Amino acid sequence: MHPIELENIRKSFNNVHAVNNLSLKVTGGEIFGFLGTNGAGKTTTIKMLLGLIKPDDGKLSLFGKDAHDISTKKRIGFMPETAYYYPFLKAHELIAFYGELCGMDKKTIKTRTEELLVEVGLENTGKKTLKTFSKGMLQRVGIAQALLHDPDLFILDEPFTGLDPLAKIHFRDLILKLKKRGKTVFFSSHELSEAELICDRVAILKEGSSVYDGPVTEIAGDGKSNLERIFLHVLKDKKSEDINKQMEAGK
Amino acid sequence: MIRQQLCAFIKLSFLDLYRRKDLFVLLVLSCVLLTPLALLRPFGQMGGNRYMNEIAMLMIWVFSFIIALGASSRLFPPEFESRTIYPLLSKPVSRGVVLLGKYLGALSTSISALAIFYFLYAMLNGFRGGEWFSPLLLQAFVLHCGFTAIVVALGLLGSLLVTTSANITLTSTIVVVMFLLGRRLPHYIAADETPVRWIIAAAHAIGPHVEFFDLRQRLVHSWEMISWPVCALALIYAASYSVTCLWLAWLALRRKQL
Repeated sequence: MHPIELENIRKSFNNVHAVNNLSLKVTGGEIFGFLGTNGAGKTTTIKMLLGLIKPDDGKLSLFGKDAHDISTKKRIGFMPETAYYYPFLKAHELIAFYGELCGMDKKTIKTRTEELLVEVGLENTGKKTLKTFSKGMLQRVGIAQALLHDPDLFILDEPFTGLDPLAKIHFRDLILKLKKRGKTVFFSSHELSEAELICDRVAILKEGSSVYDGPVTEIAGDGKSNLERIFLHVLKDKKSEDINKQMEAGK
Repeated sequence: MIRQQLCAFIKLSFLDLYRRKDLFVLLVLSCVLLTPLALLRPFGQMGGNRYMNEIAMLMIWVFSFIIALGASSRLFPPEFESRTIYPLLSKPVSRGVVLLGKYLGALSTSISALAIFYFLYAMLNGFRGGEWFSPLLLQAFVLHCGFTAIVVALGLLGSLLVTTSANITLTSTIVVVMFLLGRRLPHYIAADETPVRWIIAAAHAIGPHVEFFDLRQRLVHSWEMISWPVCALALIYAASYSVTCLWLAWLALRRKQL
């Protein structure tokens, strides 16, 4: 049973295909990078995975069950691209709120909250409310709330956005630790260098369809290519070909 | 688990209301206005006392309406604007529970504010030589809670259908018109012979009968209480109206493109 399985998924908004005939399988315990340009359909796919919107056509399942199933949601940790959360809450109150929604008992919530705030480096925020937090700090809160109920599958939407270089390294290590614990990580990103460093497999999305789906080692196997070049190559539009030629010429 | 989730939403609403300054501004404003009223004894006349009590009750109705509408109309728009709805709905919680939790949260915070206002009124009345507490005051409070339940449900429904400003304008207009004209409309309808009367009759039937919950005159003039079965019927009406609004809101939330 795959943590994520998409089969010929389609979704249109006002007759524009946001996702078109997309098929994917994410295997348990792998780090899967979901790459694509702006408007390629990454966020729409993530919304369908979370059961926020329904696909027009096709089959979508998480751990073999429907995405709308409440029991499935217990196994998912989601981190949005940029969510500003409730500005009047403190970091520990927000995490406790999500913990209560997940049905965790008070003692576990307290222990987990303390652990997570240390893990994401927010242990000293104390009485500060979220409205005073920087974008990077809010990203860390987002990571903490996704990790809270120890889910089996992590769906992360642009997780590296807004993080400083140190936080990026820290977060990359965190994702690798999750993999070691047998968790599955599915993340969308523009940060191709990050994807190259941590992903087992990637899918490249263009206009709602997957134009590449396979292991990172396979596409970067010759030692000369990097994910950025391959990304531009598979997208194959004129602009990217020009960039590719410039890269080949060493400019 | 659902109970725990509902409690989480109620707690969230309390933190929201009490950490924003709106309630405190209204409370300070009430104290500033009510304290001189409590101390003043115009000509030592009983009628003067009644007049002061009437002003105090009007203030309570206006302020509690502002709090209830303010709390309910802000329940969903910030969730969509700041995209907090995504992590919220990614948790094992259904849209129905989110809706009910938010409704109960806004209702309980509005009722808590209402209780503070009624406490202030009782203090005012007590200081002016009247009764500190009476069963009629309790009945007025209970019915006022019914009115609040309807306002919160209407505000919540509006927050899912129109923009916040349009919601506040529409809900305020409906409630104020029904509040002022609700009792008189049946007389107008009976007197009118044009086809317009059918439109007015339909609007009167659909609109929230907030006038059922107004015991201000009885309270101010120390008239008799209404019978508890009539009070219970009014509360059943409030519950039914709120449930209908919540059902419509649930349909709107279910179909909402996120």
